[in-house]
Amino acid sequence: MSNTQVGPVYDTIIAEVINAVRVDFEENGVDDGALEDLKKTWQHKLSQMDLAQFPWDPKPDPPATLSAASGPPTATPVTAASSNYAQTAGQGLSLPGAPNGVPMKQEPGFAPGEPTIKQEPGVQPSLQGYNPALGTAAQRAALALESQYGQRAAASISAIHSGMSQVNPAAPQQPQQGQRPGQQQQVPQHVNPQQQYRQGVAASIQQRMQQVPRPGQNGLPTSQVDGTPDAAEDDTKTIIMDRTEIDAYLHAQLAARGKEMEGGGLMVPLKKVKKSAKARRSAEKRGDAEGVANVDGGLDDDVKSEEDDEDAINSDLDDPDDGADDDEDDDESMGHMMLCMYDKVQRVKNKWKCTLKDGVLTVNGKEYVFMKATGEYEW
Amino acid sequence: MANSSNTYYDLYRHGSLGVALTDALDELIGDERIDPQLAMKVLTQFDRVIAETLNEKVKARLSFKGSLDTYRFCDEVWTFLIRNVTFKLDSGGQTIQADKVKIVSCSSKKTEEK
Repeated sequence: MSNTQVGPVYDTIIAEVINAVRVDFEENGVDDGALEDLKKTWQHKLSQMDLAQFPWDPKPDPPATLSAASGPPTATPVTAASSNYAQTAGQGLSLPGAPNGVPMKQEPGFAPGEPTIKQEPGVQPSLQGYNPALGTAAQRAALALESQYGQRAAASISAIHSGMSQVNPAAPQQPQQGQRPGQQQQVPQHVNPQQQYRQGVAASIQQRMQQVPRPGQNGLPTSQVDGTPDAAEDDTKTIIMDRTEIDAYLHAQLAARGKEMEGGGLMVPLKKVKKSAKARRSAEKRGDAEGVANVDGGLDDDVKSEEDDEDAINSDLDDPDDGADDDEDDDESMGHMMLCMYDKVQRVKNKWKCTLKDGVLTVNGKEYVFMKATGEYEW
Repeated sequence: MANSSNTYYDLYRHGSLGVALTDALDELIGDERIDPQLAMKVLTQFDRVIAETLNEKVKARLSFKGSLDTYRFCDEVWTFLIRNVTFKLDSGGQTIQADKVKIVSCSSKKTEEK
């Protein structure tokens, strides 16, 4: 393994990559000039790193002129490609555009909250049409009780009565608040005993229904609580929803949440991502510039901050390779890094032995390639 | 090793060669001369070519010793941070000293199986 091997090997790699992607460039309607510029910029950047003697280095002037030239010719009329890119950029930018849209979206996020309040009042009419349905359910429940348990149901029926007596006192209070007269008035309207059974069953069901949504209402960021405390109390007491309505309500809530998330939630606007990536890259470049000077020994502080960074970055990224990469980037700026494959990693107590292959090693500002490496170290 | 496989590690993208390529691609993208998808294709090709080239063209060996500071094995990737390393190159018996080297290593078997 040697430093002199790096140049030819890298040259081969560059040539092969460029050849391999030529077809892709053509298929994308990108001119050959871009490909050539890619190659030259690539080589130029490698030369700047000063990691080894590269075959293209003997002509240091061309890269300089090329790098200068690579600026202006960017305006080459590759309309197809640029429009392509513009499209993709546009797609990508729709999110970055979100910074403007974020507050907008959040407000809708709240605004839907108000509609959802209104849905609840809107429940009233449906409740009016709905209580009869409860009545039939109550009928069915009563019938089922009777048919199944006959007289034994008497106990539960009496329990239902007591439930009635609990509900009925509450009922007159609510009409006083005048919020949901329609449905409450129906309660006292039931007079004859059978209807009382039904009503009782209905009431107990209602109670259960109320109990069910309550935690949901409290748990969710409902905007229905924006009224006076009385009104809120009234809401919880009088809003009676059947399952479909509860489902619809929860669904609406979740959807509203989702909308809030879209702009301001977990998803990070592309611009931010790009910025951080750019910042990292520029930091890297700075590191590269300083790297050679720093090679003789990193400060302890640097090391520590690096390690902190590693942890932070690793937590963000799913891909372990990527996570490792960022570490490497940091370390590369220090100029000490080995990327390779491992065949074997063995440990006996604190002694480690490993067999590595196909690696690239960057040490002290020089690059080395190797087919096989064996390492022994103690922990 | 990876000749029969279609998937390659993107590990080497973070070596100097890969970083130089990524920067060059970024410039082209920034100048709107190529679109990002094309850049991804280039990087994919790079993953393949560098893996193959290192496997086929490079014959050099080296050995190294040092004290292991940190080790990590996660998702089949070994990461070692070794301090006070001495590399011995078999060509010419040259030695290289470094106070700190980070090794990031993917399984060679995985590429074969893939």
